[in-house]
Amino acid sequence: MARLVAAQPKQASPWATPLAPSSLSEFHAAALDLSNIRKKRVWQKKGALRVAAGLSARKILIMGGTRFIGVFLSRILVKDGHQVTLFTRGKAPITQQLPGESDQDYADFKSKILHLKGDRKDFEFVKTSLAAEGFDVVYDINGREADEVKPILDALPKLEQFIYCSSAGVYLKSELLPHFETDAVDPKSRHKGKLETESSLDSRGVNWTSLRPVYIYGPLNYNPVEEWFFHRLKAGRPIPIPNSGIQITQLGHVKDLARAFVTVLGNPKASKQVYNISGSKYVTFDGLARACAKAAGFPEPEIVHYNPKEFDFGKKKAFPFRDQHFFASIEKAQRELGWTPEFGLVDGLADSYNLDFGRGTFRKAADFSTDDIILGKSFVLQT
Amino acid sequence: MAAASSSSYSVASSLSSLRFTSSRYLPSLTHYYLPSTPFPSLFSSPSPSRRSSYRPLTRRPTFSAKAASVDRKSVLIVNTNSGGHAVIGFYFAQQLLASGHDVTVLTVGDEGSDKMKKPPFTRFSELVSAGGKTLWGDPAKVAEIVSGVKFDVVFENNGKDLDTVKPVADWAKSSGVAQFLYISSAGIYKTSDEVPHVEGDLVKEDASHVGVEKYIAELSFSSFAIFRPQYMIGSGNNKDCEEWFFDRIVRDRPVPLPGSGMQLTNISHVRDLSSMLSLAVENSIAANGKIFNCVSDRAVTFNGLAKLCAKAADRELKLVHYDPKSVGVDARKAFPFRNMHFYAEPRAAKEVLGWTGTTNLPEDLKERFQEYVEIGRDKKDLKFDVDDKILESLKVEVTA
Repeated sequence: MARLVAAQPKQASPWATPLAPSSLSEFHAAALDLSNIRKKRVWQKKGALRVAAGLSARKILIMGGTRFIGVFLSRILVKDGHQVTLFTRGKAPITQQLPGESDQDYADFKSKILHLKGDRKDFEFVKTSLAAEGFDVVYDINGREADEVKPILDALPKLEQFIYCSSAGVYLKSELLPHFETDAVDPKSRHKGKLETESSLDSRGVNWTSLRPVYIYGPLNYNPVEEWFFHRLKAGRPIPIPNSGIQITQLGHVKDLARAFVTVLGNPKASKQVYNISGSKYVTFDGLARACAKAAGFPEPEIVHYNPKEFDFGKKKAFPFRDQHFFASIEKAQRELGWTPEFGLVDGLADSYNLDFGRGTFRKAADFSTDDIILGKSFVLQT
Repeated sequence: MAAASSSSYSVASSLSSLRFTSSRYLPSLTHYYLPSTPFPSLFSSPSPSRRSSYRPLTRRPTFSAKAASVDRKSVLIVNTNSGGHAVIGFYFAQQLLASGHDVTVLTVGDEGSDKMKKPPFTRFSELVSAGGKTLWGDPAKVAEIVSGVKFDVVFENNGKDLDTVKPVADWAKSSGVAQFLYISSAGIYKTSDEVPHVEGDLVKEDASHVGVEKYIAELSFSSFAIFRPQYMIGSGNNKDCEEWFFDRIVRDRPVPLPGSGMQLTNISHVRDLSSMLSLAVENSIAANGKIFNCVSDRAVTFNGLAKLCAKAADRELKLVHYDPKSVGVDARKAFPFRNMHFYAEPRAAKEVLGWTGTTNLPEDLKERFQEYVEIGRDKKDLKFDVDDKILESLKVEVTA
């Protein structure tokens, strides 16, 4: 332990004054088994280690923060004593009490979190409002295009760190896996905006850090990842999975991602580095269906494989994952940052189920139209 | 299982406490640390809520730092006389000799047997030129064969079951061998929906290697380690790997793959295994009690491997997929790799030994193809009976 502290910079720096350790115990409050309690203890231990590194309160801006990742990230940062502002259009409520969150904790968070209302696509407004405020650190959680970053950097010439939520979707598809941070990226991918943003940050000379998650899951997920399976399991329907079902994917819990975002804050090792952040193990599509059932207490599902080329789903997506192997190694983050995911797949899915879908909440209503096409229960009408 | 004596347990726990002072993540070691007692905890099922997450150390323990000069060690390699693992002993011997260690290779059987006419045995003169000793015999009689020579390290690269390994392990213990390394197999991991196989994951309790691993752990060597490899490529290999693909590609024959071809496997260059073993010898304290997946750090799909072989051969690839059951062939006879995801990652080696992999399949396969042609295998007259059966049932024409 002493060795770890000595490794951190000692001179006058923004990161000099230690803070009280943070605790995520509230989020593990919906403990159904000992594993959550064990996680609580470990988290506190980790928090103590990070404090030893010496981190003073920063003025932090989160672009986004009211929907998913930022909801969890902002809570940790506020608990850690930072002044946190969320920049959103205000379409979603600025704060919402989370399932499992105590009234006391929510009230505390709500009283401290700040909001800057605006449209990040209004670059002039972004520049003037940010310049007027002045922030030490920016977390860009919802940025998609490189041009969105420019007004932020222009407004904050003394920015200490720009922390970006990128995506492992930037990697060029490969037969050699897992993806490492050194792998070739695909300038033509759907996520090329993320790639261009990373390049833009690098060329600006700012102290940036970029995290590349794979598929994120957890309570409040607005991307129907686990929710897609839960709807079918709840309805007692077979799960239609394209092709062999042995395609391998990787899920990372949002709380682990939030912790990773906090771990890189003020960490000199993270300067100008990209990190894959996701779960420690990968899973087949068929395996994921079974894991969702296990996590939610449903019987093992019937899985139906189909050839997507034989169907016309129109604009609808028949399956929430890209039909290929897609997973990334997280060992760089583990080795260099000392971060490691706390949730395994079934635990993590149980956490999501118990705090969200299992309570009757979800983002997208069930839509089994593509399932029915596959299962042959209806056919495309000819007009 | 009988508990070992309290003294052996305390040896284990004092070693543990040494590690704890330099480790940030206490639980990680229990994932792959093999305690001397009690045995059920070694390979028993974790609690249902246990994640197979892996907590890494951020640094290597300081006492495992490499010495500037290598301590000269006397190493005995007990090597199998055939099969995919045979080449491991050859590369390891070469690397140890290059590092200045004393190496004796005891190969099972007779020096004059037909098995010795295949690589890597055909290249054993290279070991002798480098100062190594090569012997032949029955490992059960190892004491007589090595007649009183004292070894620091024994590398058991032969036995798959306790009957075969026990005599060597017992002799090593009684003759004061300090470090015992055993080549097991990643094939003992239980299949799971979640991949990869990580050190500490459940293994098939009835697998014969498992019995050997437990027995070795029980013997309380000053240092012991278990290595679980998969498939290898490299000059001197005793068993076909990439050749299976080259045989078809170079004759313009379709390459038939079972299932979707998306199955992932580890194909490692044997030099990666050798370097991992060498690091374990140099860092015997850090390596002690550990399981190491002895593989490269990338997996490849069957489709991908076929494509890379075709690229290495600079030929076109004709891929054909089939369902072994429908066609009526045994996939194990039709195809050289397990027809499933068979994928382990070398996490312990990276974390504990600071090992890095160098396998670069696109480049390595080019070198393999060059040798394939040099030895004239591309001109060999080969039979493809099983392939033909598959292709016929799929009504695929062979236009070669």
